[in-house]
Amino acid sequence: MTDFDADRAWRLHPQVAVRPEPFGALLYHFGTRKLSFLKDRTLLDVVRSLGEHSSARAAIAAAGIPAASAEPYVGAVRTLAASHMIVERDA
Amino acid sequence: MKTVSIPTRQTPRDDEQVASPIESDSLVEEVSIDGMCGVY
Repeated sequence: MTDFDADRAWRLHPQVAVRPEPFGALLYHFGTRKLSFLKDRTLLDVVRSLGEHSSARAAIAAAGIPAASAEPYVGAVRTLAASHMIVERDA
Repeated sequence: MKTVSIPTRQTPRDDEQVASPIESDSLVEEVSIDGMCGVY
């Protein structure tokens, strides 16, 4: 299990492919052979921009999510970290 | 003679809500494709 900290920097795993879909996006991990369905286009923006921000929380804020509404997105990013779709990086 | 029109549009409009392929309240759902060999 990956320890997730939304205040740390994350990025997509290099073995993960992203395919935008009308409902959000599909992520496929070539290493674990897992698929993740992102059911929100804003979450797709968050995931794609993780590597450009100093923390997951900053990426969520940059996608236009106010702090008061961020918790579902933090939870979604936590889920992606637990399945290694995203990995921690140096800020 | 009566004319019946049959809707033929199959793609959603931009402003149409598209259903997710899976049902859940969460923003992320995960599945493993292990064991799906033979499905092409």
